[in-house]
Amino acid sequence: MRLNILFGGKAGQGPNVLASILGEVLVKKGYYVFCSRDYQSLIRGGHNFNVLTFSDRPVYSNDSELDIIVALDENTENLHKKNLKKSGIILRGQHKNMYFAGKLFKILGLEFKELEYELRKLKKRFEENMKEAKLGYSEAEEKIKINSMLKVSAKNAKSLNFINGTQGIANGAIKAGVDIYYAYPMTPATPVLTELAQRQLTGDFVVVELENEIAVINAAIGSALTGAKSMCGTSGGGFDLMTEALSLAGMAEVPLVIYLAQRPGPATGVPTYTGQGDLNIALYGGHGEFPRVVLAPGDPLEAEELTSQAFYFSQKFKIPAIVISDKHLAESFYTLSEKPTITTSKKLATLGRYNSYEKNPATGSATEDAEIIKKNVEKRLKKAKDIEKESKKFNRYKIYGKKTSRNVIVSWGSTKGAIIDSIKDVDVKFIQILYIEPFPLEIKRELEKAEKVVLIENNSTGQLGALIREKTGIFIEDKILRYDGRPFLSDELDREIKKRFRLK
Amino acid sequence: MMKKESAIKSESINTGTKPTWCPGCFNFQILAGFKNFLEKEIAKGKKREDFAMVSGIGCHAKIYDYVNLNGLNTLHGRVLPTCLGIKLGNPKLTVFGFSGDGDAYAEGIEHLIHAARYNSDINYIVHNNQVFALTVGQPTPTTEEGFKDKTTPYGVKVHPINPIKLMLSLGAGFVARVFADVKEIENILKEAVKHKGFSFIEVLQPCIIFHPDTGYRDRIYSLEKAGHDKTNIKEAMKKAEEFDYNTISEKTRIPVGIFYQEEKPVFEEVILREVKGKR
Repeated sequence: MRLNILFGGKAGQGPNVLASILGEVLVKKGYYVFCSRDYQSLIRGGHNFNVLTFSDRPVYSNDSELDIIVALDENTENLHKKNLKKSGIILRGQHKNMYFAGKLFKILGLEFKELEYELRKLKKRFEENMKEAKLGYSEAEEKIKINSMLKVSAKNAKSLNFINGTQGIANGAIKAGVDIYYAYPMTPATPVLTELAQRQLTGDFVVVELENEIAVINAAIGSALTGAKSMCGTSGGGFDLMTEALSLAGMAEVPLVIYLAQRPGPATGVPTYTGQGDLNIALYGGHGEFPRVVLAPGDPLEAEELTSQAFYFSQKFKIPAIVISDKHLAESFYTLSEKPTITTSKKLATLGRYNSYEKNPATGSATEDAEIIKKNVEKRLKKAKDIEKESKKFNRYKIYGKKTSRNVIVSWGSTKGAIIDSIKDVDVKFIQILYIEPFPLEIKRELEKAEKVVLIENNSTGQLGALIREKTGIFIEDKILRYDGRPFLSDELDREIKKRFRLK
Repeated sequence: MMKKESAIKSESINTGTKPTWCPGCFNFQILAGFKNFLEKEIAKGKKREDFAMVSGIGCHAKIYDYVNLNGLNTLHGRVLPTCLGIKLGNPKLTVFGFSGDGDAYAEGIEHLIHAARYNSDINYIVHNNQVFALTVGQPTPTTEEGFKDKTTPYGVKVHPINPIKLMLSLGAGFVARVFADVKEIENILKEAVKHKGFSFIEVLQPCIIFHPDTGYRDRIYSLEKAGHDKTNIKEAMKKAEEFDYNTISEKTRIPVGIFYQEEKPVFEEVILREVKGKR
């Protein structure tokens, strides 16, 4: 049993705050909440909404059908009422957002004091918000008794953590001992910049914003040369600007972590929406041939773990390591009960004579000597082999669903949530690939065992599919691709998966 | 096949790499001035590990190959952000950035503009030969109008940047120009290193092949000897306008020395103080 609540309104009306207040309260009570955010590239006006899905069982995605719509403006109702279930409720009217919070809390049978606690936490307009909330609470009736519908235990609640992918990346970086984070603002990577900038005031690291992404990555390289644990973050367009220096990090052997948060391209694309179209630039961006690591978390827990692993690989092998995420993962809140396993890493770089040229290792100077060039190239090739060997110590891919099933789904990144929610009760096995590079070649065996394989990606060409073909020779013909800037919704995906595998 | 270079002694500031600049290149003057400066600093008790150097791409950048300091011969145009990262990584290092005019004024000019604002404690030396020399003679942003090469058969039609004026207008705290002469280089480096903050030093460095000295040496005069007040920004601007990099006539006089100097808050010190102060 899952309930879906949509909060919609103009930017500035505060649908986002309502969703996060309800989310916090539900998680504290032991419910599992998944909350995504859909917003336009504007500051005031327009139409923004959050969809909050909750249950007494783990949830990692939203559904298309809604139980409640909280409409802060008329437009919200007009746009979303087609998705409202027959039994669904719409909250509407000329009120401030906290009026709706009060009303919703009453409808769901939640206590007012829980809302009051959250309003106090906001530290802004407390009196005004309380007045609105009380009015809303008094004007509603309890219609949905979630207490009796969904059984949760307060004991379970203590282990739950309400966290988004951005916080996962930031936690991972801090726990891995980041010394310096560089960025130029770009959605959807900006939230990590904001999160770390705030936390630098209490942490042992600094955050620096520079004039553009080229300055950002080159400064990050400069800091890394001195032995500092250095990281930078951006989205696709910024990553394009960084790729010359990415190649430099490969050549000069500089330990560097890069956070790449995808949004739909090409070019400026759709800045505040989601997509997985940048796997190829993470893998192949930068001229010349050099070793790198590309890691793709599928939820905030993995974001935390893989960021720490990116630091580990970058330091141990003195290479650039990329953590690739997307807007959906970066800005959606997940309820997680597991604690992350952080990989610690020593600082291994020391200031020496680095070079963007092929260098003579004896002098650190540029060289054109054929023998040295060949040796250097082979050193880089060997490094790639060593990285692959080392990577086997980590969970490079995960298997979910019915482990013996011969119906196999392959995917990566933030599609994980909707896939897991979709395959709960069907005869399907899901392989999630976390290590894009070095690629887990064992996947080949897994795919060969399958009767039917379906590729699921949030892009239009199936970039992981192309990589699987390159690495294993296996061509996955059957693809479920979504490329409208929106994430997969579990009920829709569920129907599509059943159709593809001919399941009931 | 090239001759193998022997391993260098770690304490030496020489790499032993054989210079490949043209015989008589003015880069040798800059190299010698830089080495003299370093040797004297080391004689006074500094270690080579106390210094770091970064160079860009172009003839100037080869200086990295001949001086055994830690650092990076980085990408074209990216000397300044690399230096900034080094300073933020280890503020104790004395950092030298070397660029050509292509590096500083074309490929990487955005970084130069912001470096003047940030005021990180970087000593930045621009080898301005007013030409892309290593790519065999194309015009740069400081090449004079009318200059012709194979890529500009009709001649350069746009006026050059005046880097001294640019730096002054951006509020740079140390703005100097010298001619590529060993003694001048050594002297100005002493002043620049003493100055806390971003030090911009432009070196007029004729390229003997593609942009030979068109009389610069005969037209230079010392700002210091002329009694220039380097704390006066208006005077500095007037001095900067005396030479526009475009025209050389009978009357042209080229001031060299420190145009302007003012101590301002240093980027890495401010950042580290602001962040750590709140912990």
